[in-house]
Amino acid sequence: MPKCEKCTFFFPIPEKDMDFEPGKGDCVEQQQDTKGKFWLSKPVSENSEACQRYRPRN
Amino acid sequence: MPTTERTARLKNRCRFKHVAGGEYVDPGVKAGVERARLITQAHKENIGEPTSIIRAKGLENILKKITIHIQDDELIVGANTEHPDYFPMYPELSYFSTMDMVESHYCDHKEEMAEIAEYWKPYTIQRKAEKYFTPEEIGIMYSATTVQPPMFVTAFSSIVPNYESVIEDGLLKRIEVVEQKIADAEEEIRKSPWNAPEKLHYLDKIDQWQAMLIAMKAVVGWAQRHARLAKIIAENFLTDPKRKEELLEISDICRHVPAYPARGLKDAMQSKWFTFLLCHSIERYSSGYGHKEDKLLWPFYKKSVIEKNEQPMTREEAVELFECERLKVSEHGSTKGRQLREFFAGSNDLFILTLGGINPDGSDASNDCTNAILEAAENIVTTEPSIAFRWNEKGNVETKKRVFNCIKKGFGFPSIKNDELNTQQLIKYFNVPEEIARDWALVLCMSPGITGRRGTQKTRSEGGSDVYPAKVMEIALTNGFDEFFTNMQLGPETGNAEEFTSFDQVWEAVKLQLRYAIELSLRSKDVGRIMESRYLCCPFISSIDDGCVEKGLDGNELAEVANPWHNIIGGSVVVVDSMAAIKKLVFDEKKYSMKELMDALRNNWEGKEEMRLDFWNAPKFGNDDPYADEIATKYYDLIADEWKRNTTYSGTFPLPLAQSVAGYIVNGPKTNATANGRHAGEALDDGGISPYMGCDKNGPTAVLKSVSKINGSKHKGILLNQRLSTVLMNSDAGFDLWHAYMKTWHGLGIDHVQFNVISSEEMKAAQIEPEKHTDTLVRIAGYSAKFIDLARYSQDTIIARTEQDLAAG
Repeated sequence: MPKCEKCTFFFPIPEKDMDFEPGKGDCVEQQQDTKGKFWLSKPVSENSEACQRYRPRN
Repeated sequence: MPTTERTARLKNRCRFKHVAGGEYVDPGVKAGVERARLITQAHKENIGEPTSIIRAKGLENILKKITIHIQDDELIVGANTEHPDYFPMYPELSYFSTMDMVESHYCDHKEEMAEIAEYWKPYTIQRKAEKYFTPEEIGIMYSATTVQPPMFVTAFSSIVPNYESVIEDGLLKRIEVVEQKIADAEEEIRKSPWNAPEKLHYLDKIDQWQAMLIAMKAVVGWAQRHARLAKIIAENFLTDPKRKEELLEISDICRHVPAYPARGLKDAMQSKWFTFLLCHSIERYSSGYGHKEDKLLWPFYKKSVIEKNEQPMTREEAVELFECERLKVSEHGSTKGRQLREFFAGSNDLFILTLGGINPDGSDASNDCTNAILEAAENIVTTEPSIAFRWNEKGNVETKKRVFNCIKKGFGFPSIKNDELNTQQLIKYFNVPEEIARDWALVLCMSPGITGRRGTQKTRSEGGSDVYPAKVMEIALTNGFDEFFTNMQLGPETGNAEEFTSFDQVWEAVKLQLRYAIELSLRSKDVGRIMESRYLCCPFISSIDDGCVEKGLDGNELAEVANPWHNIIGGSVVVVDSMAAIKKLVFDEKKYSMKELMDALRNNWEGKEEMRLDFWNAPKFGNDDPYADEIATKYYDLIADEWKRNTTYSGTFPLPLAQSVAGYIVNGPKTNATANGRHAGEALDDGGISPYMGCDKNGPTAVLKSVSKINGSKHKGILLNQRLSTVLMNSDAGFDLWHAYMKTWHGLGIDHVQFNVISSEEMKAAQIEPEKHTDTLVRIAGYSAKFIDLARYSQDTIIARTEQDLAAG
């Protein structure tokens, strides 16, 4: 199974940030409904198994 | 019209969270579970730690892990839930409130949330507090008939956050201060010789300070998450260069605040918004939007808009930012149980900001920031946040014209408070130094409280909660027993009215029932306050109060500046008019006996229309009629005296605050027929001192004269609704007539007034074709709502209000 760290939507947290932990990153998702576009971000571990939205980074 | 295309788009797609008929209007609104899930997870992991630390780690877990989001077009970012359509849940507060939501159609995670609610049951403030009351007392309070159910079951609170300390200091500086406090304490307890009475108190303080550190660091990290998200969107998801540039600026702002002091208006607005979210809906739920916005933002407005040396922007861009703020508030989700959703008919929550008044040095506090905020309100046309304007004789005419412009458009706000009267109240009753008292803002709809870096109100246990006077009077006539709604003994046995032989006996029974309701309600607040201090510490809220940091105390516990008040909600004028009718027709003229009256009331005046009309036509408050006004004076003095008998948690007596929100609508159906000629179930009076619907027949000045006979200085506030003619207000003479009226109002020393400026024809047209009146706003009492979102019963109460003609005097 692919891991989150290889996903286009995984963004590692910079070391200088308060919530930095090794291997932790932001999973960012664009959504759109009748009221417009918005983007969600939740923390994930790079070693987590990727979800259905997985898209490999180029 | 919205000032820019952006705010037009944002308004068009706004995810409004207001309620109607006790339900959220937008079908997309849902209960979010992440906050509840994360605070539960942290509680399980940290049980055994001091409460302050458990609470801090709960907040930390939420801020680190909750899904954050940014919507297209936004200039102010941040929310309290994982999705822009959601509102959060607070299982640590009240089991009943949580289960109310779990069992509703708003909750899609019923099994998980039921499990969370069961886990919290023994830890909730509700469970901790209930054991100090008898089952009978619990039954009375939860029936919501004579008193509002207590905070520990409604989970309803209110707060004025110390925005100034965040915006002026930045959290990193405050972290340094707290670290130094811990270091000093550690050194102090190691000094020779050991002295337990002098040293042991540091243990609790160190825990509180450690909790504050955890909370503040988590908040900085949460803002950095928003900074990262804005940058990621700009660099990975968008091609529009203008929006990319905006998002990169948002990213810079969130990296800067609240960690550091705000540089300009954009920083200050974002820092204020983050602080609002944390204090009002993430660390715990508290209603309100209490701050003196033009005072708070003026230094930054000057730097950005006038001097243009920090985050330079045009005035139009500033107005756009204030419009964005109004929309952000409109889509902020608040969590309330059904009783409160019904009580705030047509609104989302009680979001009220304050403008105007004078500065600490006595100069006019209205400035161009005040004007820009009013201009934004006039342009964007949203019900929320409502605005209170402090009317001081020093206030400039230009700002007062802008206040008039909003009122004449029918927004129902700004509501107007007497600045001098309210400032003096804080000085006289609560020993607030004059220069601090001059920075007051409304805590919720009507109550002034201090703003600034320390000593602001932190919980509704300090000020708030309700007594319902019409129901109190009803049971005063039936030996304390509620025959009409609950079939319960709601108060002491004070006799059956059939046996009363003097008006004094009626008065005494009302006084004793009122006394019982007041004392039960005050006791429930203070028991709740102790439980909040023990089990519901709020380390972030405490960390931004200079007093809490200095003393190492939680904000719930520290009552540095007392501000106790208690609402007397909807029905005061029904009581006054009923007492006047009883005095005149039963005891003065002896036209009817008390037995005949009680029979008629029990039968809802059936077969007694002529008798009802006698009572309906008896002297009524609001007509400058000495007979009714004398009883009103006695009644309002009585309630002030009854509250004054008590001493609350913060060491002084509370002041009563007569108002109604939508309580006059909700409590009407619970209240039997009354001796003012009102039928059972009909609405009560719609303010705190508004004449009963249709009973003020002698013009607006007569209303003011009646109201001015009440000694307003004994009260925290007294709400007066007035309805003015749209034709007159929109005529060339509109401002001059209104301004003259306001000068009369001010000269008479009256506390408050607010206006509906809408014709009966427009309201009736909106009832027939609601789709054509989506921006028709009306004033309820303390807040405004879209007319079309009100139930027909509520709409009719507004149509029934007397339309005053200012030209008639």
